[in-house]
Amino acid sequence: MPIHRFAYTLLFVTVSLLPLTVLGQATCTGALTGRITGQDNGQPLPGASVYVRERQTGAITDTVGVFRISPLCPGTYTLTIEYIGYKTLTIPATVGADSLTTLATIRLVPDNHTLQEVVVTEHRSEAQKLLQVQAGLSGNALNATRGQSLGESLKTLPGLYSIQTGPSISKPVIHGLYSNRIITLNNGVRQEDQQWGTEHAPQIDPFLATRITVIKGAAGIRYGSDAIGGVILIEPAAMPTAIGLGGELNLVGATNGRQQTASGLIEQALGGPLKGLSWRVQGTLKKVGYARTPDYFLENSSYRETNYSAGLNYTRQNVGVDLFYSQFATRIGLFRGAQVGSLSDFYAAIARTEPLRQPGFSYALDRPYQDVQHDLFRLRAFVRSDRWGTLTATVARQQNVRQEYDLLSFSRSTDPELYLKLVTHTADLVWEHAPVPTKNGGRWTGSAGFSGITQGNVRRFLFLIPNFRNYGAGLFAIERYARGRWTVEGGLRYDYRWLRAYFRDEVTDRVTNQTRDWQNVMGSLGATVQLTPELALTGTFSTAWRAPNVSDLYSDGLHQSAVAYERGNPNLNPEYAYNTNLNVEYNRNRLRVDLGLYNNRINNYIYLKPDSVPIVRQRGAFPAYTYNQVLATFRGVDATIQYKLLPRLTLVSKTSLLFAYDHTNNDYLVYIPPNRTDNGLRYDFIGTDGSASRRVSGLYVSANVLYVARQNRAPAVSERQENGQLIFTGDFAPPPPAYTLVGAEAGMRWQVAGHPLSIILTGSNLLNRAYRDYLDRFRYFADEPGRNIMLKLRMPLGQRKS
Amino acid sequence: MQPVQKSSLLFLLAVGLLAGACKKDEQNVDPTDDNEAITTATLSLTNTASATDVVTGTIENLNTSATFTNATLNLKANTTYNGSITLLDKTKTPTVDATEEIREKTNEHLFVYMYMPTGTTTSTMSVTLTDRDTNPAPGPYPVGLTTRMQTGATAGSGSMHVVLRHQPNSKDGTATPGSSDLDTSFPVVIK
Repeated sequence: MPIHRFAYTLLFVTVSLLPLTVLGQATCTGALTGRITGQDNGQPLPGASVYVRERQTGAITDTVGVFRISPLCPGTYTLTIEYIGYKTLTIPATVGADSLTTLATIRLVPDNHTLQEVVVTEHRSEAQKLLQVQAGLSGNALNATRGQSLGESLKTLPGLYSIQTGPSISKPVIHGLYSNRIITLNNGVRQEDQQWGTEHAPQIDPFLATRITVIKGAAGIRYGSDAIGGVILIEPAAMPTAIGLGGELNLVGATNGRQQTASGLIEQALGGPLKGLSWRVQGTLKKVGYARTPDYFLENSSYRETNYSAGLNYTRQNVGVDLFYSQFATRIGLFRGAQVGSLSDFYAAIARTEPLRQPGFSYALDRPYQDVQHDLFRLRAFVRSDRWGTLTATVARQQNVRQEYDLLSFSRSTDPELYLKLVTHTADLVWEHAPVPTKNGGRWTGSAGFSGITQGNVRRFLFLIPNFRNYGAGLFAIERYARGRWTVEGGLRYDYRWLRAYFRDEVTDRVTNQTRDWQNVMGSLGATVQLTPELALTGTFSTAWRAPNVSDLYSDGLHQSAVAYERGNPNLNPEYAYNTNLNVEYNRNRLRVDLGLYNNRINNYIYLKPDSVPIVRQRGAFPAYTYNQVLATFRGVDATIQYKLLPRLTLVSKTSLLFAYDHTNNDYLVYIPPNRTDNGLRYDFIGTDGSASRRVSGLYVSANVLYVARQNRAPAVSERQENGQLIFTGDFAPPPPAYTLVGAEAGMRWQVAGHPLSIILTGSNLLNRAYRDYLDRFRYFADEPGRNIMLKLRMPLGQRKS
Repeated sequence: MQPVQKSSLLFLLAVGLLAGACKKDEQNVDPTDDNEAITTATLSLTNTASATDVVTGTIENLNTSATFTNATLNLKANTTYNGSITLLDKTKTPTVDATEEIREKTNEHLFVYMYMPTGTTTSTMSVTLTDRDTNPAPGPYPVGLTTRMQTGATAGSGSMHVVLRHQPNSKDGTATPGSSDLDTSFPVVIK
């Protein structure tokens, strides 16, 4: 298998490259070390950067917030310490004649100002110090997305898109890839919530997160195979350590759909004999009615969510146990105007400029709808030692029950049309070894681990995917070497996958099964260099693979909402991705540029072949699609430019370009996000040094113009006769025209009874423009929602400081 | 080291619990079940001039590949027939008569009939819907569970295209609103 050989070559290259980076030139042997924590919670800040101005060298703190810089000659230096969300600190440091100088713990002050604009892209993010290109939402940037679904919130990041089924269902897309090609880690556990189609959105409450990190590109080494497109990490706040009761209340209201959302949490860290014990309960209620396009309401596009979670943590010095339970329950209405019985209905609906039925506003939610409940139980324990590092074990059980109710014509049945119950058990063991310093001042860090998974799926009513059982196991190791301005990283992973699907013969009632298994090795290699204090370059190359999943192999049924009969292909082979990323980050005075280039080449890319033959069933004709495999490439550019025109006025420009191609058929791929650029201005009324006594702080206003181009690189839409059969090629309708949307945002903190109340007002599609989006499966039937004004309030409770 | 022991004990306990929770539910496979399957459509035509002259065409397995063995309607030219349609779901036990359920919801259903002669032949057949729903004004509208069908003078062959439209809250007497629940054709021979 070539991938094996490739991975070994990669490892060899990694190892042989390392000495090249060790270009020590100093004769001095002094070293400087210290620990960086946040002043707010005393937690170590892993991934903070420490820069020695005089020597133009620096280091990044490790997972416990410790950095080490060497070699240094005796003398006084100026250290600049930076960490996202905290104020940059510049301190003098004197390195003595002794070989090692240890500084007192450095406490960074949280920076509310930076939090507001954070600064959506960053590298070498804290949680995982992987070199892969990352982007994240936290602080005010995350608060400004409150009330939106996960897929919608992430759309503000360059390189991220969402594929939709009406206004109520939104799935994240990273660099053109989605569904099973993206792994979502919810609180450290791989989310398994049945992503069988574009109308299956991830079941995650975004209010759980205080930070959402996205790793763009193949990142399978650490998180498992399948992550060809990327990884989304939902990171909740660390459990409280400051003794006392605290909490937070979020309220969201919106004009379009008349959304009402409330989310709250209460947490406590106990003291006395129970010191080290903490708990948290959290819950979210959400209710949204019919969405309104500029000209009409979308009937039955309402949805509801009821989510809650509870956590219990015990940490004492070097050991800790953490229990977590969460439940996400949602009922999602599907736009009634998109319900078509057959291809002729579908063409009739496409031909209409507006839906036939246009009722007034309502919160009513009737068939067709989806009812989904996701339960997660997780137990995690860790042991830490200075000598051996940290060993973390996690076991989790997830249960996902999906019920889909179609519009009924005459039947009195109260049953759903589709019932799928997926139960997943996962177990992970990760060892992060203690940093190993080398004689020449470099430092090795790394981790190794095992992960196991088993899933069982039970279906009832209509057939979409068969019952199945699968097992998977993976072993990985990642090592990182940092010295001076260089960091080099290499990783290897082996995975085994086993899948057995069960079928019932409708005539004989006999149950048969089919079994397949796969195994593979993948590798990654990356390097980052801080060329000057202003300029950093990062390059990564990684391979990843994805075994075909049960819906690729065995799906066999009618997607009523997608008006397509989808047939799996049991002979599919795994996909192999070769992903190259190059990132340039430039930061000087008033200018900040973040430029990312990527090339993802996927062999055996599995997709629904656009050629289809109609299949006739009781309701009439449907196009039938089968899965096939091609060589596909996804290339693109993500660019973020920030320029301070005036001390308080910032220009923010975010551009995402994507070019995807099917090299097997020499054609474009369907449903590829079109190019877009989002440009805006932001004005901050109060400087960062506003005194604490001020009632209002952090006041800002911003406005942006989003331009989304027409997707001109889409397969041609055509029909042709072949052997007496009508064959459709491409899409049902050409991509919609380009559109421009105007948005605005304003926010501030207001001191109310000693608590900082955060108020954010956002407006989208302010000019109330009627438009359709290429990535929305309901674009054939109706316009996208019109103007929407959202108010988001966030109030910390209790005596803790925010 | 007490907490370590405690935590590892907890961990083992949880692993045991989780492992014990694995049942082999997936090996019991449920049959495929469609709430609104229509397996059988029967169009029954009675000669208005002779009550004993009944012509019946039945299409089976509509929900899968469709069987037309007994589907052909052999009719006389220049004759008027009273028609009635029956839809059955034989996947259920006992068999469900979907026509009965449609009769209860006539305000949101409409049968559309259209005769199409084969090739260039010129045989004709006209269809009149003879039943009415209870929709308020501007209703009531026709339903189409019962019909009157009149063959033309020319002999020939063709097909009777039958479409059942589901038009909840939108029925206006035309075929345009709603979606199709049934869309099939009975072969017709007029002699």
